[in-house]
Amino acid sequence: MTSPLMIEARAVEKWYPNGFHALRGAELEVRQGEVVVIMGPSGSGKSTFIRTFNGLEDFQKGSITIDGLSLSNDVRDLEAIRREVGMVFQQFNLFPHLTVLENLTLAPVLVRKRPKAEVERQALELLERVGIHEQAGKYPGQLSGGQQQRVAIARSLCMEPRIMLFDEPTSALDPEMVQEVLTVMRELAEAGMTMVVVTHEVRFARQVASRVVLMADGQVVEQAPPEQFFTNPSHERSRQFLRQIA
Amino acid sequence: MASASPPVLQRLRQELFATRVDGLISIALIGFLLAVATALLRWALFQAQWAVIQANSTLFAIGRYPFDQQWRLWLLTSLLAAATGLSWGLLRALPRAGRSGPRWPANDRVAAAALVGLAVLLPQLLQLQQPIQLRWWGITALLLAVRWAAGRWGAALPQAVRRWLPLVWPLLYLLGMVLISGGLGLTSVSPSEWGGLLLTLLEASFAILLCFPLGILLALGRRSELLLLRWGSVLYIEFIRGAPLITLLFLGQNILGFLLPGGLAPDRVWRAAWVLTFFAAAYVAEAVRSGLASLPRGQMEAARSLGLPVHQALIHVVLPQALRVALPATVGQFITLLQDTTLLSLIGLLDLLGTARTVMANPAFLGKNAEVYLVLAVLFWCCCAALGLGSRALETRLNTHHTPAKA
Repeated sequence: MTSPLMIEARAVEKWYPNGFHALRGAELEVRQGEVVVIMGPSGSGKSTFIRTFNGLEDFQKGSITIDGLSLSNDVRDLEAIRREVGMVFQQFNLFPHLTVLENLTLAPVLVRKRPKAEVERQALELLERVGIHEQAGKYPGQLSGGQQQRVAIARSLCMEPRIMLFDEPTSALDPEMVQEVLTVMRELAEAGMTMVVVTHEVRFARQVASRVVLMADGQVVEQAPPEQFFTNPSHERSRQFLRQIA
Repeated sequence: MASASPPVLQRLRQELFATRVDGLISIALIGFLLAVATALLRWALFQAQWAVIQANSTLFAIGRYPFDQQWRLWLLTSLLAAATGLSWGLLRALPRAGRSGPRWPANDRVAAAALVGLAVLLPQLLQLQQPIQLRWWGITALLLAVRWAAGRWGAALPQAVRRWLPLVWPLLYLLGMVLISGGLGLTSVSPSEWGGLLLTLLEASFAILLCFPLGILLALGRRSELLLLRWGSVLYIEFIRGAPLITLLFLGQNILGFLLPGGLAPDRVWRAAWVLTFFAAAYVAEAVRSGLASLPRGQMEAARSLGLPVHQALIHVVLPQALRVALPATVGQFITLLQDTTLLSLIGLLDLLGTARTVMANPAFLGKNAEVYLVLAVLFWCCCAALGLGSRALETRLNTHHTPAKA
């Protein structure tokens, strides 16, 4: 009756080297095909939490299982997980010395060892899907922010991940470019991708999310379907947060 | 703007005599420069006795390299000329994707004309014998011919050939080593017989080639998460940078024989080459480190998120960007290194400066120091200018398209 568990985070605790206690027993379950939007005030640990899912941040206590593989210190497991988990960053982090097409093909050719011609064909299809196939030969510095972020999404998709993580994907964009990125993300969600999205975009959360998660002080405070979360939240912290962003 | 550009005279007036003060400064400077130039010219043309250079040109070029083996150096020079012509021509025939350039841009024509001028003029000035003059002409002609042919037909080369062509240079370097020192059936020529420009270039190129990868490793080590590796790199870099090169050269002569595995540093020439390498590597490491530090953290994170293992992320994402940032500082270090080779004369090697000192000690050429030093200065300037030009060409070629990513 339920689809398989893709992300399972249990009682995750993280201290930064400077002693800051960023995650205090954060818990999350994400099933296949779900779109989970994480919201919360800044400093609540949302980005840190999502970054633990592909090992960009380590954690000291608790456990995280991604698609059946446990996140541990074993480098091979970590690399296996990263092959299956795509990540889109606030700052795009495209490789400025490579063309758009090369940005997409780099990892599939190097990591998945797929033939270059085949990857290039797939990359061009993906670029068409996000609406920028005519820019394939350009360098990232020649594109607008919105275009860069769409390339970044296509770059992750080119690895054919089973999960996509979005860490505030529209926060660094000029307002008029936010929508084009959200549209691509919505289409991705409709295609059935499992997604975890840290964002402040309420409209996106309302329309696309299967579940909204509120984090505060390094913990998951509330989880609810979007309608319920935005109209009738059960926790005081959620109400407080919604008042602040309203 | 270009259409409204005033005639040269008008522009000069604008640049030099815009206000009364500007005019006074300009006149004073022009007078000073004229005075210096005429004095220098008068000295060079009427007073200086260039016989000291003419009589010792071979010594300055290659030291006491045995006469009957010198054909090997001629062969090497010809090969180098051909390879230079090849690379130069291909650079124009195969501009980077999306760009097209003329096959003979104005710069190239000036360079070719300068080469021809040098080939005609220099042997005359040095009063070389006819056959040797002819050889220089032949080598220049070879360079330009290959340049022309590569520019003409380079674009028609099959992809596979193009891809392996850059290997010509390392192969040529190894071949050059064999040609110079002997082996593989050639009579061996002991390093103590190498000298002059040959020795200077050999030491400098050896150190430049090896200090670069070594410096990259040290820079990576300095940023490593492994404590021992990090401390080791820091200790090494700081120790080397804290000690004067001349001290290290003397130290190296005494201890490198024990430190390096047998055969790597058999004599003074090789020991000095290793010291130069180890010395320059510490400075290159600092240049590369600044390049690494200039990259946003997100580059490494994005590469790792895509599943690239650390070494692939370094090779394909981080280093190409970091090295481009580090290039000017690194080339600056190479230029310093080239000039530092003059210190070799202090440990008794006959590099350019060492050769010059032996020449000046010859009673026949007493008091001709000015002529010798001037020629040395010009020679070094030429080599360093070539390095600088090369690096600037590389920089523009590497950075034509893209602005750096926003941090």
